[in-house]
Amino acid sequence: MVSSTSVETVVKISHFRMDFGKKTVIKDLSFDVKKGEVFGFLGSNGSGKTTTIRALLGLYQPTSGELLVGGKTFSVSSGIKLGYLPEERGLYKKESVIDVMTYFGQLKGLSKKEARTSAEAYLSRVKLSDKAMTRIDKLSGGQQQKVQLGITIMNNPEMLILDEPTKGFDPVNRRLLMDIIEEHQRNGATVIFVTHQMEEVERLCDRIILLKDGVSYAYGTVAEVKSQYGNASLDDIFLKVYGDENEITEEAE
Amino acid sequence: MYNLGTVFRFEFIRTLKKKSFWVMAMAFPLIIGAVFGIIYFSNRASNKAAEDTKNQKFSLVVTDESGLLNKTMLAQFGASESSDKQINIDKVTNGTLDAYFYYPKDLSKNTVEVYAKDVGIFNDGRYQAVAKALLQQSVGLTVDSQKTAVLQDRVAFNAATYKDGKPYDGIRAAIVPGIFLVLFYILIAMFGNQMLVSTTEEKENRVIEMILTTIEARTLIIGKILSLIALALIQVVIIMVPIVVAYVFFRSQLALPNIDLNNLPIDPMRITIGAIIFVLSFLLFTGLLVSIGSVSPTAKEAGGFFGVVMIFIFGPLYAVSLFISAPTSPFVGFLTLFPLTAPIPMMLRNAVGNLTPTDTLLGISILAVSAVVALTIAIRIFRYGVLEYSRRIPLTIIFKK
Repeated sequence: MVSSTSVETVVKISHFRMDFGKKTVIKDLSFDVKKGEVFGFLGSNGSGKTTTIRALLGLYQPTSGELLVGGKTFSVSSGIKLGYLPEERGLYKKESVIDVMTYFGQLKGLSKKEARTSAEAYLSRVKLSDKAMTRIDKLSGGQQQKVQLGITIMNNPEMLILDEPTKGFDPVNRRLLMDIIEEHQRNGATVIFVTHQMEEVERLCDRIILLKDGVSYAYGTVAEVKSQYGNASLDDIFLKVYGDENEITEEAE
Repeated sequence: MYNLGTVFRFEFIRTLKKKSFWVMAMAFPLIIGAVFGIIYFSNRASNKAAEDTKNQKFSLVVTDESGLLNKTMLAQFGASESSDKQINIDKVTNGTLDAYFYYPKDLSKNTVEVYAKDVGIFNDGRYQAVAKALLQQSVGLTVDSQKTAVLQDRVAFNAATYKDGKPYDGIRAAIVPGIFLVLFYILIAMFGNQMLVSTTEEKENRVIEMILTTIEARTLIIGKILSLIALALIQVVIIMVPIVVAYVFFRSQLALPNIDLNNLPIDPMRITIGAIIFVLSFLLFTGLLVSIGSVSPTAKEAGGFFGVVMIFIFGPLYAVSLFISAPTSPFVGFLTLFPLTAPIPMMLRNAVGNLTPTDTLLGISILAVSAVVALTIAIRIFRYGVLEYSRRIPLTIIFKK
């Protein structure tokens, strides 16, 4: 755990607004993430979490506001060692596991030899060494997830952004992911963690933000947010904050 | 352009590893080889059949009312003469005579009649050939060789034309700058669709977010384009090898024209202009394809738009004769300067030497601006369009961003 006051800010989002045509997805969002913390980014489906992450990484241009990583707008040449596991996942399906991992390793700045060595070490760790030469589309869904996770961390990132990383993960892969997040946090990496799994948030996160209707609904350490809701569990808080939305959705359906 | 080499190598090697690339790469030369083979064996079979026919003897009766046939020649062939037409036709009909030729009195108005026993569709032609040969050779004996050559259209002509006080052969001069037109056609025909598939691949595989947070969109696109160019060059080599081998070693057997490559006119200015038009046209086309690939959710859906671009680019081929015969017409001028149709008319007119300096400067400027605009927009669309995984992105959103 890190102190929220004494540590350098690595992500700073100020008055971020995002419109898609006439639809406003994010109205006015401001928060920051401290170096070395695990930051939970929570919200119901369609609340704008992925949009915020994409805007932070320069994949979307914000309608207004400022989104900074390490004090500047993120770009691939900004020198930040990033590990990003997006919500929409996939790999080059027709290529072999080792070729794809080596390629991404090289793109992330490793030499070909380093990338290959790193890929082989990871595959050995997750017991996929025998699949190194197998085409990605010949792997099971769980094996593909492991490969994608390996690619995300193979440059030993200083900032990990994981957008619903446990979505579709089986318990084994979920455990692997949690172990990896903890490892990187211990090594000083900053982790932004978008999830619906409150149990994981309670276990890993230093601070969290709850996003609703395009604004920040609750923001602070896990303890601070809990205290705002009478020390209820995060599951209960989530139900309380987003329960109405779900009821409306169910009725509409 | 950090990582450009990595993208290039990855795209290049993985395409080379694909069976589909080699199937496509080998299909064209194999088809060319098969066509050449058919021509070769067909010519050989025809020559052999002609030779066989010449040597074949068959019973023949001739009625010569024209009086042109040479009696000695008829005797040498073993033919006998008869004045009764119907009796000889009956003999052929009942199989007691192989062939009967009837030469009427006035050959300029009447038809030579050939009656013969069937010897198969490939051999039946021999009778007419013999009837014709008997007539031509008989007449040839009565006329001197020069007149015979004129009448048989065997006189050779050698034309020399001059331009600006120097010998000039328009067709031969068009060969070298015309190569760019052929290259462009091969490049687009072979790799247009592959470029489209390549552009949509990251989107279809959902890998684009990881890529775009690792390298610049520009680097990815340029790496892909360069790899496709390298692959196209391999393709060109694969296509050219059998053509060159066929030309060098089997030219006479395949009845290919004899081109004196040693004395081919080289016009550096025209070649330079051709190269510039080729490069700009390729960049413009690439920009259009990347844009189409980026706004479409799948390569399949992009195919429809690709067809429209192909019509614009290659449609002018239907007006080829116009570019040569009426280069000053307003229609040709429009096709030459309108960016989407400009590549073919400009390269063709440059090759045949009727692209005026004004059209050259104007056309190249328009192509250059269009190519830069197309590539800039393409990269922008790719940057923001590829995240629209399941729907075609409205262009208004792209340009508003």
